Amino acid sequence: MDRTPWVRRRVAAAACAVALVLPLTACDALTPGSAAAVPGPRSVPSSTAVPDDDITLRLQFADAPPMVDALIAAFEKGHPTIKVEPQYKTFSDYVQNLKLTMTSDTAPDIAQYAVGMTDLAADGHILDLSPYREAYGWDDAIPPVSLDQLTAGQTSKATGGRALFGVPAGLSMTGIYYNKKLAERAGIHAPPRTLAEFEDQLAAAKKADLTPLGVGALDSGGIHLWAALLNQTMPTDDYWDWVNGTKGATVEKPAGTTASELVVEWGRKGYYNDSANGTAQVDSTAQFAKGDSVFLINGNWAAGQLATAMKDNVGFFPMPGERASDPIVASGFSVSYAVSSRTEHPEAAGAFLDFLTSPEAGQIISDNGFLPPNPEAVAKPEGVLADIAEAHRRAVADDGITTFPDFAAPAMLDRLRSGIQKLIADRVEPADYLDSLQDEWEEHHGQ
Amino acid sequence: MGSRPPRSEPPVRTASPRRRSPYRGYVYVLPAFAVYLAFAVLPALHTAYLSLFEWDGVTLGDWVGLGNYQEILQDSILRRSVFNALVLVVFFSFVPIALGLAMTGLLARYRRPGMGAYRFLFMLPQVVPLVAVGVTWRWLYGDDGLVNQALGAVGLDGVTRAWLGDFGAALIAVGLVGTWVLSGLCMMLFLSGVQKVDPHLYEAARLDGAGPVREFVSVTLPHLRGELAVAMTVTTVAALASFDIVYVTTNGGPGEQTTVPGLLVYRLAFSEGKVGLAAALAVVLGCLILAIVYLINRLSRSES
Repeated sequence: MDRTPWVRRRVAAAACAVALVLPLTACDALTPGSAAAVPGPRSVPSSTAVPDDDITLRLQFADAPPMVDALIAAFEKGHPTIKVEPQYKTFSDYVQNLKLTMTSDTAPDIAQYAVGMTDLAADGHILDLSPYREAYGWDDAIPPVSLDQLTAGQTSKATGGRALFGVPAGLSMTGIYYNKKLAERAGIHAPPRTLAEFEDQLAAAKKADLTPLGVGALDSGGIHLWAALLNQTMPTDDYWDWVNGTKGATVEKPAGTTASELVVEWGRKGYYNDSANGTAQVDSTAQFAKGDSVFLINGNWAAGQLATAMKDNVGFFPMPGERASDPIVASGFSVSYAVSSRTEHPEAAGAFLDFLTSPEAGQIISDNGFLPPNPEAVAKPEGVLADIAEAHRRAVADDGITTFPDFAAPAMLDRLRSGIQKLIADRVEPADYLDSLQDEWEEHHGQ
Repeated sequence: MGSRPPRSEPPVRTASPRRRSPYRGYVYVLPAFAVYLAFAVLPALHTAYLSLFEWDGVTLGDWVGLGNYQEILQDSILRRSVFNALVLVVFFSFVPIALGLAMTGLLARYRRPGMGAYRFLFMLPQVVPLVAVGVTWRWLYGDDGLVNQALGAVGLDGVTRAWLGDFGAALIAVGLVGTWVLSGLCMMLFLSGVQKVDPHLYEAARLDGAGPVREFVSVTLPHLRGELAVAMTVTTVAALASFDIVYVTTNGGPGEQTTVPGLLVYRLAFSEGKVGLAAALAVVLGCLILAIVYLINRLSRSES
C-alpha cells in the first residue's frame, strides 16, 4: 500500500491543529479591543477664541438633513473661515456604528448625540463642554433642563460642576394629540386636567363607539405611553436616578407598578386600537389623521404631518398628572451634537455649537418642526404647534422634561418594547415586567 | 518481440518518475482555498475565539472562558428564540417541500404550453430581496392590508386582525412569508430533477396501468431523493438562520413571539455591546445548523 495519502492526511490534520491552537497561544496579543488611553484632552480648552486659519469641521448626524443643511449654511455665512462638511447616515446605521466611528482615528469633529454616547463619554472619546457652558453663557439661551440631559451622569473634571457632552439644536417632547371633532362627538370639550379626568374621557370615547387611544406599539409608541404614565406616578428625581444608573435606583416601586397596571387596565377596557401591537408609530399617526381614534400618543415630531393633514381639527396636551396642581412632566430629548476628543479644532466646534443657541438658528430649527431651545427668539407658531410650544414651555418651567426610559441601558429598548407589548395584550404581570427591566438595569450598571 | 517478458509496471501511475510532487494538486486548489480560508474559515474561528471574551466592541475584552455559553443556556429569551426557529422550520422547510412536490406532480407529467411562464412566476419570490419581501408582507398583513380585505370580502370579518401584532398569529404569519418565498425554489429544484428521469420509465409505468399518484410515488419520488436532500438543507438553514424577514416584519415582537437567534445575535452585537455573547450564540447556532444538515445528509444517503 502507498503510504502517501495517509501521511498527507496527517500533515493536513497537524496543520489544522496548529491553525486552531495558534490564536489561543497568542492570547495576550489577540485580546480584542484596546486599553490604550484616548489621545488628546478630556475637555474643551478654556478659551473660546477660534484661530484665523481655514478650518474644515466634519459633522456626522442622523436626524433632519434639511435642518442641518440650513444651519450649516447660516453658520458658514457668519464664519467665512470655517467650513462644515455634513455626513448623513440613516439613524440605525448611525447608532450601530457610533462606537466604532467615535473611537477610530478618523472620527468626525462633531457628531449627533445618541444612546451610546454615555459609554463614549465615560471612556473620554467625546469632550466635556462644560467650560464653554459658562464662557458662552448657554444657560441663558437653553433651558438648563435640556443641558442636564447631556451630562452622561458625570461631573466635570474641568469645572467641578456637572459635565456637558452635547448642545441641543431641536428639542422633542411626547404627549397626547386629540381629534377635536371626534372629541366633541364623545362629549369631550377640553383637554383633561388630571389623569383621572383623562381616563373618564377615554371611557366616554369608548362609550361613543369610537377607538379612544391610538398606540403604535410595534416600535416605540408603547414605550412613550408607559413612560408618560410613569412620569405622572413616579417622582421625577427617582426616574432620573434610574435612567442615569444611580446606585440603588429601581423601577420596582409602587409608582412603576401603578403605571404598568394602567397600561394593562386600559388594554382590558379596550381603549387602544385593536392592533396596537402590530402598528408602527408612523402608521398609528396616519390612522389618527384619518380619524380612526380620538386620541393618539406620540411626540412633537409628528406635529408637522398632523397639522398639514388635519388643519384646525387637531390639538395637543401633555399627559396630565394625578392632581391638577402636579407639575407638567413629559419625556423628551433633543437633537444634540457632541464634539470628538480627536478633533483638532475644538474652538471652531464650540463656535458652531454656540451658533445653535442663536435666534437665527432657533428660527431654522422651528421652521423644520422641532422645538427651538429658546422659544422667545422665534416667531409664534399656530394651531397644534402652538399647543406643543405651550406644553413644552410649561414642562420646562416645571423642570419636567425627562429623558426616554431606554437611555437606562443599551438593551433596555428591546426589553421595554417587548414587555409593553405584553402589558397591552395582558400577557404579563406588571411585577414580572418591572423585574425584567430591573434585571437588565442591574446587569448593565453592575449592581 | 513476443519473447520479451512483460514489463513489470506498477498498476497505479502515482509512482511514475514524471510525477514531480504529490502535492501538485493542492497548488491548483490554493487560490480558491486561500479565499475560502480568509473569508470563511478564519472569520468563523475568530468568532469562536471572541465568544470566549466579555467584550463591548471597543475597550479591552475580558477573558471569561465558557461563561458566555453558560449564560446562553440559562437565558429564557434565548431558549425561546431557538424554539421559534424550530417552529419556523415547519413553515420554511416542510410546507414548501410538500407544496413543491405537489406542484411537481401536477406539472411534470405532461409537457404543457406556457411552462416557462409558470416557472418564472414561481421563481419570482426567490429573486426579490428579502427585505423588500418583508416590507411588502408587513403591508399585506396590516390592519387595512390585503389579507384582511380578502377575509372581509368573503365574510370573515370576525377573524381579521393585525396579524403581525397578534400574540397567537404572529409566528405563523411570519412563517407563511417564508413558505411563500421558498415554495418556488423547491418546485424549481424538483422540476429540474424530474427532467433527468428517463421518459421510458414513465411509459413503462403507464403500460403497467399506473395512475398519476402511483406514477408519482413509484417513479418520480425515488428519483428526487438528491433534490429533496438539497431542498431540505437549503430551507432548514434558511429557517434557522432567518433574520431579514423577522427583522423587517415584527422585529421579534409582539413580546418574544417571533424572536429568532439571528435577530438576537444582531441585537447583542450591535445595539447592546455584548460582542462575546453574540459570538457565542452565533457559534451555538452554527453548530446546531451543522448538526441538522449532517443529519439530513445522513438520512438521505443511508436510504439510497
